[in-house]
Amino acid sequence: MKGALELAERAVAAAEGDGVEAVVQAERSGFARFAGSEVHQPTLIENVSLFLRVIRGNRVGTAAGNRVDDEGLRALALRAGEAADAAPEDPDLATLAEASQLPEIEGNDDETAALGPAEQAQLAAAAIEAAGDMPVYGFFTSGTATVAVVTSAGFAGEQTSTDTMALALAATDRVSGYAEQTAWAVRDMDPAAVARQAVELAGRTSNADELAPGSYRAVLGPYAVGEILQYFAFDAFSGLALLEERSYLGGKLGERHFDEKVSIADDALDPRGLPKQFDFEGVPKERVPLVENGVLRGAVWDSVSAARAGDSQRSTGHAAPPALRRWGPLPFALSVAGGEAESVDELIELVGDGIYITRVHYLGVIEPRHGILTGMTRDGTFRIRDGKIAEPLVNLRFTIAVPDMLTEVPGLTRETTLANEAAFYDERFAYGALVPALATARFDVTGNGGPPGI
Amino acid sequence: MRAVCEEAVAAALAGGASYADARGVVRRSQLIATKNRRVDQVDDVESEGIGVRVLVGGAWGFACDRRLDQTGARDAAERATSFAKAAPGTHERALAPVEPVQGAYRTQREQDPIDVPLGDKIALCLAAEEAMQNAAVKVTTAFVRAMRERKVLVSSEGTVVDQDFVECGGGIEATAADGEISQLRSYPSIHGGSSAGAGWEYVLTLGLEREAPRVAEQAAALLRAPICPAATTTVVLDSDQMALQVHESTGHPTELDRVYGTEAAYAGTSFLGPDDLGSLRYGSELMNITADPTTPGGLGTFGYDDEGVPAVRTAIVEAGVLCGFLTSRETAAKLGSGGGGSMRADGWSRMPLVRMTNLHLEPGEGTLDDLFADVDDGVYFETNKSWSIDDKRLNFQFGTQVAWEIKQGKRGRMLRDATYTGVTPVFWGSLDAVGGPETWALYGLTNCGKGQPGQHAHVSHGAAPARFRNVQVGVAPS
Repeated sequence: MKGALELAERAVAAAEGDGVEAVVQAERSGFARFAGSEVHQPTLIENVSLFLRVIRGNRVGTAAGNRVDDEGLRALALRAGEAADAAPEDPDLATLAEASQLPEIEGNDDETAALGPAEQAQLAAAAIEAAGDMPVYGFFTSGTATVAVVTSAGFAGEQTSTDTMALALAATDRVSGYAEQTAWAVRDMDPAAVARQAVELAGRTSNADELAPGSYRAVLGPYAVGEILQYFAFDAFSGLALLEERSYLGGKLGERHFDEKVSIADDALDPRGLPKQFDFEGVPKERVPLVENGVLRGAVWDSVSAARAGDSQRSTGHAAPPALRRWGPLPFALSVAGGEAESVDELIELVGDGIYITRVHYLGVIEPRHGILTGMTRDGTFRIRDGKIAEPLVNLRFTIAVPDMLTEVPGLTRETTLANEAAFYDERFAYGALVPALATARFDVTGNGGPPGI
Repeated sequence: MRAVCEEAVAAALAGGASYADARGVVRRSQLIATKNRRVDQVDDVESEGIGVRVLVGGAWGFACDRRLDQTGARDAAERATSFAKAAPGTHERALAPVEPVQGAYRTQREQDPIDVPLGDKIALCLAAEEAMQNAAVKVTTAFVRAMRERKVLVSSEGTVVDQDFVECGGGIEATAADGEISQLRSYPSIHGGSSAGAGWEYVLTLGLEREAPRVAEQAAALLRAPICPAATTTVVLDSDQMALQVHESTGHPTELDRVYGTEAAYAGTSFLGPDDLGSLRYGSELMNITADPTTPGGLGTFGYDDEGVPAVRTAIVEAGVLCGFLTSRETAAKLGSGGGGSMRADGWSRMPLVRMTNLHLEPGEGTLDDLFADVDDGVYFETNKSWSIDDKRLNFQFGTQVAWEIKQGKRGRMLRDATYTGVTPVFWGSLDAVGGPETWALYGLTNCGKGQPGQHAHVSHGAAPARFRNVQVGVAPS
């Protein structure tokens, strides 16, 4: 969106306070969602939202809105000011971002930004046609999201990001397979290939068997690795969670708790992901090591949690979008280092006897401090026998401690995949995890669900 | 706003739409949260815009625009029709007939929750937090929310509906930790507490400050409580956990769009089929589920849904047999039964979906103690903590913040980290008692996710405590 920075500057100018921060989020996006090989929920969104934070003395107030005329800005500033006046003093008030050198990033593609409804529908059609006779469910989406942050302390930045995603669930009432692809440039997308991959996987899932509950060796495909780690990371690698004693990292920083093959960072600068230049407070992005060779290294911080931590803790540039700010700093660009396996088949061979999991569904955190969560496998779960994929399995319930899953990791693939972790609620903010497939010596299956298929 | 919506509908029809509707929405919402006796969040969000839905050649199109004026209306209509025209393939869609209505609705309220000064809201939270102070409690949180929304719907069939909603709610949480484990206790529910379609008087009735000491004490006590042992046993679920059980294992599977597979790519489908209507045994004869968008105080209470279908109470399960679905006009037409009435959109920027309204487990008889009385050995689960259920809504696992032994008909010692698991119709088939009307409570939750792009729905569930036999508690030994 043109003019986002100017709009943020106007919002700052409209507010009265000792410090002011304005965040503009502008979105232009299209979703061609299909089911049973027919587009059924096509959604085009155009919006601009404004978030204003006003500091008066040691009091902070915020307000948000989407009216961008002068009257709308005045009303917004008034509400933010009233909120500040009503708030008690905050003894650990965070400072506003100052002018800084921003990193150079990729992630904005003109061709992707130019995609309109016709092109979005065509790319969805490509997936539908490639699935042939197999009904396919999913979507193609593309969008442009602009974030501008201006503070009265001197920061003024605007970044425009593009993103695209194709998702395909190929399914009948007896079989199902899943694939997805995410990129910031449409030239890197192939929705037809995504659909073909889902169809091929679905074709191998008929006549699924149940599995006796117990602890199994397992290979997790990248979608499963991404979602499990993202859920774990929201508590484990959050500086706020560390302060509040719900992070697994508490009391363990600097210690080796995971297999030495496991290295995890948060890296929003990586062009293979969905790059971001600065966070929603205007703090520049940087690569943050979280786990290095199995050693727990650190967490991510925003300015509010950093101020509360004291001890010269600084923000690492992980302030969340305004709608999620209450949850504290969040790692939205997880990156797991690849291993030495040249293929998933090599991991399956390493595991020998176990299970293969394509993706997981509906995770729930049972106990954050120990990283215990539960969920179901879905759309491509298989038994591994004699180092090869064997019979398909029904959807399995699992209850795992993620640290246990990472304690002994026989291998990871060299290649990593960008697994999309956004579900496109609220204002568009695309994010994902760069992850390899991973083999583990322990994955606890606790029950059987229904067979594949819808 | 009506004129703007009419402009959008006219533009859509001029662009080739055979059907069009337009929703203009102006929403203001506030969330005030305090944490560890400091203000954590004071959000005051205004959002307005128009969403236009069209049918062109049997294909849907939807577009929205934040400009709630004639230009925004026309632009949204043109983009919606162009998207519908671009849809690949051939399409055929019928909508169940509905009598066009011209009507209005207004949430009953004594005090508009938005009008309550922010300072009063903050003070209420801080007072509740003050009452939660406890040496073992590391984090206390209190929050209240308020919302006011005006929504105007105009359709090409002649429907014009103007609705004025308010909502509000609140809750408190205490997290105790001892360096090894952490334990959460909240009231009156988890994640945002509980909300109602009502004025600020609802928040005052919650008694957050009154309940705060108990919440903190129980969080601290959980640190010393034993882990709930695994067993196949009798369980009693409190009304809060029952509300979520209803939501996940009867609400979502009876959404007819899930039954037809249109949610398969995200939230999932359903173990139910269209032909199960009227014959499938969902649970025991004590199981009676109703969808009621007329319930006073419900978050799913309205005069008309987002297709302009008037609110009507509908039986979903009667005496354990499936007898209804949650429907849209499109899915009702496909089923050949019903007329819609459950279509709801998240604000102006999303397309309406089949959503729960207020879905209730109808009460039985007796008190909570009566439910315990017939249990020699069992577990009482209180207040949800974790939830997970498969894509067909069959296999679920829920955890609660606290559990209690039941021994010889009485509540015994406290247990922590309690979970139970089951398969939906088997579990409901084991229902052998539901508490009476005096134990029935209405809960409102605001975080029900569905759709791509994602949408949040605000729904309510009324439930009484209930008892189930032969349930797997904890993780079964392998």
